Amino acid sequence: MEFALSEADAAFRSDLVGFLDRELAEGWNRSEHGLGSAVYTDFSRDFVRTLAAKGWLTPHWPKEYGGGGQGAWQHFVLGEEMWKRGEPRGPQYMNVNWVGPSLIKYGTEEQKAALLPPIARGEVFWCQGFSEPEAGTDLAALRTRAVREGEGYVLNGQKIWTSYANEADYCFLLARTGSVSDGRNGISVFLLPLSTPGVEVRRIDGFVGAHSFNELFLTDVRVPGNCLLGEENKGWDIVRRTLAYERVGAPRYARAARVLDGLADWCRAAGLLTDPGVQEQFGHARALCEAARVLVHRVIDERAKTKEPSPMAYQARAAMVQAERAVGDLALDVMGSEALVEQSPGDAQFRNSLGAGIAAGSYEVQLNLISRLILKLPKE
Amino acid sequence: MDFEPSDTQRALLDALGTLLSRHAGTQRSRQLAVRGAYDHELESELRAAGFLDLFGDSGAGPLEATLAVERIGAELGAITPVPHLLVLPALGLPVPEGPVVLADHERSGPVRYGREARQILTAGTDRCAAAELSPDEAEPVPSAYGHPLARVVPRRAEELAPGTAGTMVRWWRVGVSAEALGMMQRAFDLTVAYTKDRTVFGRALGSLQALQHRLAELSVLLEGARWLTYEAAFRGATAESSAVAAAHTMAALHRLTRETHQITGAVGLTREHDLHLWTLRLQALRAELGGLRAHRRAVVTSRWGVAAA
Repeated sequence: MEFALSEADAAFRSDLVGFLDRELAEGWNRSEHGLGSAVYTDFSRDFVRTLAAKGWLTPHWPKEYGGGGQGAWQHFVLGEEMWKRGEPRGPQYMNVNWVGPSLIKYGTEEQKAALLPPIARGEVFWCQGFSEPEAGTDLAALRTRAVREGEGYVLNGQKIWTSYANEADYCFLLARTGSVSDGRNGISVFLLPLSTPGVEVRRIDGFVGAHSFNELFLTDVRVPGNCLLGEENKGWDIVRRTLAYERVGAPRYARAARVLDGLADWCRAAGLLTDPGVQEQFGHARALCEAARVLVHRVIDERAKTKEPSPMAYQARAAMVQAERAVGDLALDVMGSEALVEQSPGDAQFRNSLGAGIAAGSYEVQLNLISRLILKLPKE
Repeated sequence: MDFEPSDTQRALLDALGTLLSRHAGTQRSRQLAVRGAYDHELESELRAAGFLDLFGDSGAGPLEATLAVERIGAELGAITPVPHLLVLPALGLPVPEGPVVLADHERSGPVRYGREARQILTAGTDRCAAAELSPDEAEPVPSAYGHPLARVVPRRAEELAPGTAGTMVRWWRVGVSAEALGMMQRAFDLTVAYTKDRTVFGRALGSLQALQHRLAELSVLLEGARWLTYEAAFRGATAESSAVAAAHTMAALHRLTRETHQITGAVGLTREHDLHLWTLRLQALRAELGGLRAHRRAVVTSRWGVAAA
C-alpha cells in the first residue's frame, strides 16, 4: 500500500496547477456563470483548445488517436484539478472521459478516424442521450426506436434531461433495435450528428444551472449505418462500460471540498468558525469529502492497473453524493439567508447538491448494486 | 498510489492471523471477560513474534503497525494495542509489560484496564506526562461494556519533551480508528450473514430493500474509514489526516452500533450471540479523546488553522 502519487504524476499536478492559476481569471468558477450558460460554454470552447494545444485534453488516450499515452493517474489528476475549479472544460469532460474511450474500444477504424481527432483537438461537444420520460433509473425500459431502412436506420422517440444538447454537435444515443421484450438485449448505441434533419432540441427550465436540461425529439431521423457503434443489440455492454467510466469520472468531491474551504473563509470572516457547533458540521463535511476522495482513488488505482471495473465504483459514487449533500447542507445552515443570494458561495453548491444523487445513475441504484454485488445480499 | 497490500504486508497479516487464531478470538474473549482480565499471554506472544516492534522496524513501519492494531481489534485481543503498537513507539518510549492507559488532560473518567495498568500517559496542551499507577488507588467500576474499567489516580508524573502531546494524540486517533475498524468490520460481517440466513415473511431478511440500503450505506462508511485510516498512518499521522480518519470512523461507529443491533433484532441483544462482543466494546473507543465531536472540531483546527473551540 502506498498513498502518494508517483514523482512524475505529482510533477504533472504541480505544472497543471500553475497553468490553471495563470489561465483561469481570478474568481473563475461555475457558480458565477451557471452550468450550460452561454458565458460558461463559450469560455470552455476556447479553454479546451488551449488545453488540447498543451496535450492536456486527452493525455490518457493512445497516441495514435491524438492522446498523450499517459497513465490513468494523470488523467485523474487532470479531472480533480478541473473540478476543483468548477470544471472549465464544460461538457468536454464527457468527451474525454468516456465518449472517446468508448469509440476507441468499440468504434470502427472509419468512425475513429472521423470522430476522435475533433475531440482530441477540443473542437466538438457531445451530449448523452440515455434518459427518456419513461426510462431514467430503469434505463433498460427505453423506447426510442431505431428501425433498419436499407443500409441505414430511422430513429423515432424522445430523450430527456440531456445536458448540453443545446450546444452539442453529436449525441451518444441509445435506441431500441430489438423488441421491448428483449430488454437490455435489444438496445444499440448510435453516434448521432445533431444537425441531422428531424432532430429538435427544446429547453427545460431547471434551477440547478442556467441551462442544464433539454429534451431531444427525434422524428423520422435518417442516419447511415456507420452511425451504429459496435454491434446491433449489444449496446447495453457498451453502456455498462461507459457508466463505469462516468461514475467516478467527475470527481465532484474535489469541487465540494473547494467550496467547503470557501465557506470556511466566509465563516471565519463572519466570526463563526470558532463556534463549536459550526466546527462540528465542518468536520463532518470535510471528513465526507476526504472519504469520497480516498474511495475514488481506490477505483483509479484499479483502473491504473487495467483491471476490469469492479463494484467498488458504486461505493465511491455513493460517498461522493454524501459529500456533496453535506457541503450543500452546511452552506445553508451556517450562512443562513446569505446562502440564498444568487452566486453566493453556498448557493451553487446547494442547488448542485440537489442533483448529486440523480445524475449518472441515482444514489439508490448505487446502493442496490452495492447490496447485490459487494454484500451479495439475496434478491428473494 | 497502490491500494493493494504488498507481499510483506500480506505475509505479516497472515502470520498475525495465525497467532491471533490461537491466542485471541471470541471464545478467549468470553473467558477473559468473566475475570475482567488483561491478556498477558497474548501480549507476550505478540512481543515474542516482534509485532510490538513493527512501528520502528526497517522492514515494516507505522502503516503495518496500524494494520496489526486493526487485526487485534477484530480478534478481540484483550490488550492495549494502541499504546503498545503505535503511541509509545511514536514517542520513542519503551513498551512495558501489561496494560498502558492513554488519557488527555481535559477529560477524566474510567479507563480500560485501569486496575491492572501500572503506567498512564496523559496528553497535556503541549507535553505528555508519564506517570505510574498504583493498584491500591485504582477504583474498579461495574460496566456491561466488555472492558474492565477503573478510575485511576496518576502519581509521580514525569513531563516529556515539548510537542509530545501532539504526537501522542495524532497516533492515538489513528490507533483508535484502526482498532474500531477491525471491530466494526466483524460486527458488520456478522450482521450481513444474519440477514442472509434469517427468513421473515417467507423471504430472506437481507432481500428487503429497506435493509439493503442501510447495509450498503454502512459499507460505504466503513470503507471510507478504512482507507482514511490507512492513509493517515502512511502519512505519519499528520494533524489533519488523523483527525479526519477518527472523525469519519467514529461517525461510522455511531451508525454501525444502531444498525447492527436493529437489524439482528432481539437475538443480537443476548449474551449468547457474538455481536455484543464487538459492539459493546466499541463504545469504549467511541468515548476516547472526546469522541466524535472532538475529532470533528480537530479537523477544523488542523484544516483551517482556527483555535480549538
